[in-house]
Amino acid sequence: MKIKREFVLREIAGDILLVPTGKTALDLNGMLTLNGVGADIWKMLPEVENEDEIVRRLLEEYEADPKQVKHDVGEFLNKFRELGIL
Amino acid sequence: MEPRMAKYLHMKGRKLGLPIGGTFELTPRCNFNCKMCYVHLTEEEQKKRGRELTTEEWLTIGKEAKDAGMVFLLLTGGEPALRPDFPELFHKLKEMGLMVSINSNGLLLEGKLLELFREDPPTRINISLYGTSNETYERQCGVPAYDRVIRNIRALREAGIDVKVNMSVTPANRQDMQSVYETARELQIHTQATPYMFPPIRLHPDMCGQNFRMDAEEAGRLQAQYDFFRCTREQFLLRIQALQDRVSPDAHSEEECGDVVGEGVHCRAGITTFWIDWDGKMLPCGQMVEPAVDVLQLGFAEAWRQTKANVAEIRLPPECIKCDIKEICHACAAMCYCETGSFCGKPEYICRMKQSYINAMMQYWQTEYGGEL
Repeated sequence: MKIKREFVLREIAGDILLVPTGKTALDLNGMLTLNGVGADIWKMLPEVENEDEIVRRLLEEYEADPKQVKHDVGEFLNKFRELGIL
Repeated sequence: MEPRMAKYLHMKGRKLGLPIGGTFELTPRCNFNCKMCYVHLTEEEQKKRGRELTTEEWLTIGKEAKDAGMVFLLLTGGEPALRPDFPELFHKLKEMGLMVSINSNGLLLEGKLLELFREDPPTRINISLYGTSNETYERQCGVPAYDRVIRNIRALREAGIDVKVNMSVTPANRQDMQSVYETARELQIHTQATPYMFPPIRLHPDMCGQNFRMDAEEAGRLQAQYDFFRCTREQFLLRIQALQDRVSPDAHSEEECGDVVGEGVHCRAGITTFWIDWDGKMLPCGQMVEPAVDVLQLGFAEAWRQTKANVAEIRLPPECIKCDIKEICHACAAMCYCETGSFCGKPEYICRMKQSYINAMMQYWQTEYGGEL
């Protein structure tokens, strides 16, 4: 999946931050924070084709209800689409 | 208001001893010559005193500071844009994943630099606006630069870049305090005016307690006047109530700096923030001359460790602990040192300025708003 904006992922004392770089700082003058799973998804994005692949990969790593994971991933990606990141 | 995330990171950094915010003072050279400045040296004076760090040295320090936890970086001077490598430094530091802001007098923020910022904007540019006419600029800065500076500010705003205006109020520009505020408001830019000028002891150790500035009473009155024209009646009343309750009227204001008085340093200096001066010394804040440690020699991590340890030893004036207006006053370690030559010296200028501020605020409330006390 294509990430349209430029960020650097930073970890500061257990918090995971996406710091905007380049022109992204103009539209998004602030940082985004992610939880651990959010960071996992972020790192996967350039490698995966679609939402289902993210869900499949997460289920390989976490023992969780597939329906719930699918719902949460969808919500996460929608937020990123709203911000123009995906 | 400071973003919540920044506050949270500083709170976390305080607990863990992380250098969340830093300032790189890239040069002491400046294209203005303000009488009250605490940094400015001519190129000749600078070369006599020391060597400016190279591009590579700043980038190495930036990388080490980032690895130690720095998120927010302020590039300042002198005038940082005077360095030919300024665009490169800015770009490469930002690419590391730092939120980079800039302090500038605004004169050089045009042409290629403006184009660069359009494509690669800083988090914020803080511009010192010294007045609203070329004549005031000539008196205050020695250069009739107003027309160019205000044009550059407008262009930055039109490019969507976050600009903040700071005004240092001195005897040479005090009559422009209100027009600076109004000009910034028209441009929808946040402004902050301060009539308190730190004595420039980094440049002149014999200037302890002195500067090109108003007397303490006048500085207090100007601070109140600034509050009077920037606040609505309701906002002014909130400040009056805070002053009557002997709590800080600025408790919810823009940035935390030079905070509360007590036994030790209560602001962020040397706790979650640091300053590196133009020849590579780490200081807790840019107004201090000590405790200073050599970053090039020690490396960032060790310099930060020593700075924290040194700051933990600082004790502020015992008189301040019992003072009735200590929460309003905000006298910080740097003020005590610059005014008296010692961290534990009582900064009388600040005491008089704050008392005058409180009196003037109460007077505005009664005479301008018909308020009761």
